[in-house]
Amino acid sequence: MKILPVILIFLPFLAAAACYLIRNHIIRHAIILISSGILMICALLLTTQVPFVFSLGSIFGINFREILKIADFLLLFIILYFGVRTRNVAILVLAAFQIVLLGYLEFFMPQPVVPSPDFYCDFLSLVMVLIICIVGSIICGYAIPYMKRHEEEQNTLVSRQPVFFFVMLLFLGAMNGAVLSNNMVFFYFFFELTTLCSFLLIRHDKTEKAVKNAARALWMNSLGGAFFIISTAALLSRTGTLDLQVIIHSSGETNLILMPIALLFIAAFIKSAQFPFQSWLLGAMVAPAPVSALLHSSTMVKVGVYLALRIAPAIKGVFLTQCVTIFGGFTFLAAAALAVGQTNGKKVLAYSTISNLGLIFACTGLNTPEALTAAIILIIFHAVSKALLFLCVGTIEQRIESRNIEDMRGLYTQMPMTALITVVGVIAMIMPPFGMLLGKWMAMEAAAGFLIGIIMIALGSALTVMYWARWAGILMSDPFAGKFKMERQPLLTWASLLSLCAGIGMFSILSPWIYRWLIVPALATDYTATYTADYGILRNAFGVFAVLPLAILAGVGFVISILAVNSARKSRIVMPYLSGLQTGEPRVFKGPMEQMVTAEARNYYLASIFGEDKLTAWINLGALVLITLLVGGTL
Amino acid sequence: MSQIITPVIVGLFVAPLVGGFINGMDRIITARMQGRIGPPVLQPFFDVIKLFGKESMAVNVWQAFCAYSYLVASAIAVVLFFLQSDLLLIIFIQAAGAVFVVMGALSSTSPFSQVGAHRELLQMLSFEPLLILVIAGIYLETGSFKIHSVYTWGQPLIIKLPFLFVVLVYALTIKLRKSPFDLSTSHHGHQEIVKGVLTDYSGPFLALIEIGHWFDVILILGFCSLFWSTSWIGVICLIIITYFIELLIDNTTARMNWRWMLSYVWAMGLSLSSINLLWLILG
Amino acid sequence: MITKRIHHLRAKIMTHCRKNSPWLLHYDCGSCNGCDIEVLACLTPVYDIERFGIINVGNPMHADILLATGTVNLRNKKVLENLYEQMPFPKVVVAIGACGLTGGIFREAYNVIGGIDKVIPVDVYVPGCPAKPEAIIDGVVMALEKFDKISRMPNAGMPEASGEQRHD
Repeated sequence: MKILPVILIFLPFLAAAACYLIRNHIIRHAIILISSGILMICALLLTTQVPFVFSLGSIFGINFREILKIADFLLLFIILYFGVRTRNVAILVLAAFQIVLLGYLEFFMPQPVVPSPDFYCDFLSLVMVLIICIVGSIICGYAIPYMKRHEEEQNTLVSRQPVFFFVMLLFLGAMNGAVLSNNMVFFYFFFELTTLCSFLLIRHDKTEKAVKNAARALWMNSLGGAFFIISTAALLSRTGTLDLQVIIHSSGETNLILMPIALLFIAAFIKSAQFPFQSWLLGAMVAPAPVSALLHSSTMVKVGVYLALRIAPAIKGVFLTQCVTIFGGFTFLAAAALAVGQTNGKKVLAYSTISNLGLIFACTGLNTPEALTAAIILIIFHAVSKALLFLCVGTIEQRIESRNIEDMRGLYTQMPMTALITVVGVIAMIMPPFGMLLGKWMAMEAAAGFLIGIIMIALGSALTVMYWARWAGILMSDPFAGKFKMERQPLLTWASLLSLCAGIGMFSILSPWIYRWLIVPALATDYTATYTADYGILRNAFGVFAVLPLAILAGVGFVISILAVNSARKSRIVMPYLSGLQTGEPRVFKGPMEQMVTAEARNYYLASIFGEDKLTAWINLGALVLITLLVGGTL
Repeated sequence: MSQIITPVIVGLFVAPLVGGFINGMDRIITARMQGRIGPPVLQPFFDVIKLFGKESMAVNVWQAFCAYSYLVASAIAVVLFFLQSDLLLIIFIQAAGAVFVVMGALSSTSPFSQVGAHRELLQMLSFEPLLILVIAGIYLETGSFKIHSVYTWGQPLIIKLPFLFVVLVYALTIKLRKSPFDLSTSHHGHQEIVKGVLTDYSGPFLALIEIGHWFDVILILGFCSLFWSTSWIGVICLIIITYFIELLIDNTTARMNWRWMLSYVWAMGLSLSSINLLWLILG
Repeated sequence: MITKRIHHLRAKIMTHCRKNSPWLLHYDCGSCNGCDIEVLACLTPVYDIERFGIINVGNPMHADILLATGTVNLRNKKVLENLYEQMPFPKVVVAIGACGLTGGIFREAYNVIGGIDKVIPVDVYVPGCPAKPEAIIDGVVMALEKFDKISRMPNAGMPEASGEQRHD
């Protein structure tokens, strides 16, 4: 039995239990940090062992599968319980449905004859494990000072941090389990466990809104779970196995398994909050910042795209794969358009997450080695960049007590370091030579031959630049001439923010090597990777992205620009142009009757075009049509 | 080695000089169209040297960062063009430079800068997708994103991509900030009251942006040259005619609002490029 | 020796460029608009001052020459000061018209300060009511001679070298 995957899955469970039971906060923090550290090390050590398969066998004489079966039902009953408590019919019905179907699957359907390995770890799983363990650990570290402050703000009498960290760590284990599972039922269990964790964390603050949004997240994700279990049952009856690898590679029977695969895609869409299921992710933004960073941008929603990437080889060359591209491209464009109309910073991040996940789906649907490379690169860099941005917004929110982008105008004067880090995060989303742009470049080159796809991706990426650039710009919007002075934040906050920043930079520079070490083998089983990565230059027959040379040039440019900033400090600082009426105060001018008037300039949000009330209904309709097309095409 | 060094030197030093010269010609031709004589052809160089000689004055020190970053990004884009690198990558780098100009303008609290910055973003929103579609068309025809393969392609691209060339002209009009798409800032006194996105850049920083603009002009004309790469005469004719058309449009139209720009450019650009791309895919 | 020659050459080039690229900012401190129309007339095809590289800009931060017309009153005095302050060195001021020079016929009015040079330092005075375009162009050309002087100073063009004194 392999020890590393066992640690990766079960250590978080143990640590979670310890967090819950031990009420001393110092010991709890120590447990969190130590277990995070161990997880990171284990994930890195795992790189030496992939690919491998393994099964758990038995613990204390009881077959592990039996334990999992019980846990599965227990989980569904817990969801049912929450359905009763929140008096939500949708949750109740869906949970009951899943219990019945799971019971039917476990007890009445013929079980697979050939025993299959429970867990399977290849390079794709490894990429996910690395993201979960490294980014997840950093976010958990960030959560320690954040939650302390959060409870002070909320005037919580009895600290609910034990529960919070219990769920957070539990979630890490569940995620590792999900991406390592090979048995569909195992996958289903961990898939549902992440749903439950998400639900618990969204309603953590117990405000009316939080409870309501959590219930919505639960029923929507239960719908995803229901699709998943239907698909599992259908696959079992049609192929006679629960082994994911076997199912994917049963290409002879493609037409037989197409329908269940389509349902699996819908489960993935729901998990990744694609239209028309986006509302659960938008509602989930009431949760504390670390939750948004960990669950709702960098890891949990990635399970959906991971699942899609996993099953992509099974749909190569089928109509379904084109539907996925169109659907993903549509989501990319639509979510970017909605993000343009938002003033709420966290909502912009949420829409941007949906949008990028859509792009990843689009790449998955293109189903060429270039496109899948793009998808994996986007997964990696989106996880890191978006985690950073969510943590930045969390830090900002605790200081200025607002999420509104307009209130972040001139944040540089208040919290210079955080503002700078946020700008770095934004730049990493849209500019070369950072990884996100590398992924987008690959995606566009891969989609260039697919008319609808390239049009939607081109429009979506232009909208993306718009909503990021204006946000980064206004953070610095204030006259500034003084010395740079770092604001005070807890050490762990700085450590996590800066390590994510450093991570983005380092991974971006190293992306050709990441490509060679992780992505080429990740695609090797079903595809031949086409890019070569010599001298830090990614190239294939029709495109070239000189990552390392560009990074060096960008670095030189950065140094020049920073030197320019230093010399500009010596220049005369004047007030911005206000038609000659400016006073000593920025933005204030002398109006009629010697009255002081403050000049207001706000961002263009173009709400008349990109407002939620204008677009959401149509987008949901469009997405429903596309999903119908996707399912109908498999009939 | 000289295969790398020559294009780098040409891109870094010759390109901006030619860009400035073209700018000077631009001003003369514009003046002639308006019944004036116009400045000497070296006027853009006088302007820039003068601006470098001015006092360094800033609204916000980060403007210096943005101005330098814009220049560096524009220069890298042009150098990559001369190195015959990847078209899409060049577009991204060029866009990154433009984003820096916007960020620099947003870093001032002046409403003029702020509005100008957002208009610049809207201009980018209008033309960036079109440029990407043009490049997709070039890929569909030649099977490559590398400029090298485009230049060695057997026949002029304009024969197969006529509509995409029209789309490119639209995109270039916006990128060059010519009427009716000069929302963010205009070089004409009769169009611009303050100076839009460039309001709070002054002295040496404005000079840097001006030089960055010369690089952009060269990049843009480089894109045009892709469409008739088989003969030198063809390239030069195409560039001169395109630029003249730009000037004609500039001097015969007035500035429009962003709504009109966005809807008109997207409608025209998307339909024209879709038709042309469909020809390539299905034809 | 060499450095001196380089410095000399640099100053020569800089002077040439400054004299060939003066960007104007035109501010009306309560003029009757007579002078303003004449200023704008300079830009028309008849006079075409862009021949000399002159551009009328709307922003003090880009301007080299401030053309001020009108009497200057208590209300717009501050604006004039502000605009002047926002212009980067080296800069020159041309006062235009009878009002700009002395306050003209409004000199005795209760709210009139009477003359640009009461508020900011003026380099060239262009008389007339209104001043003729030819006279204005002449004034600008005279103002350009100031740049000649400024460029030849060590540390050319910077505030401390140009001998400007702030009027507060």
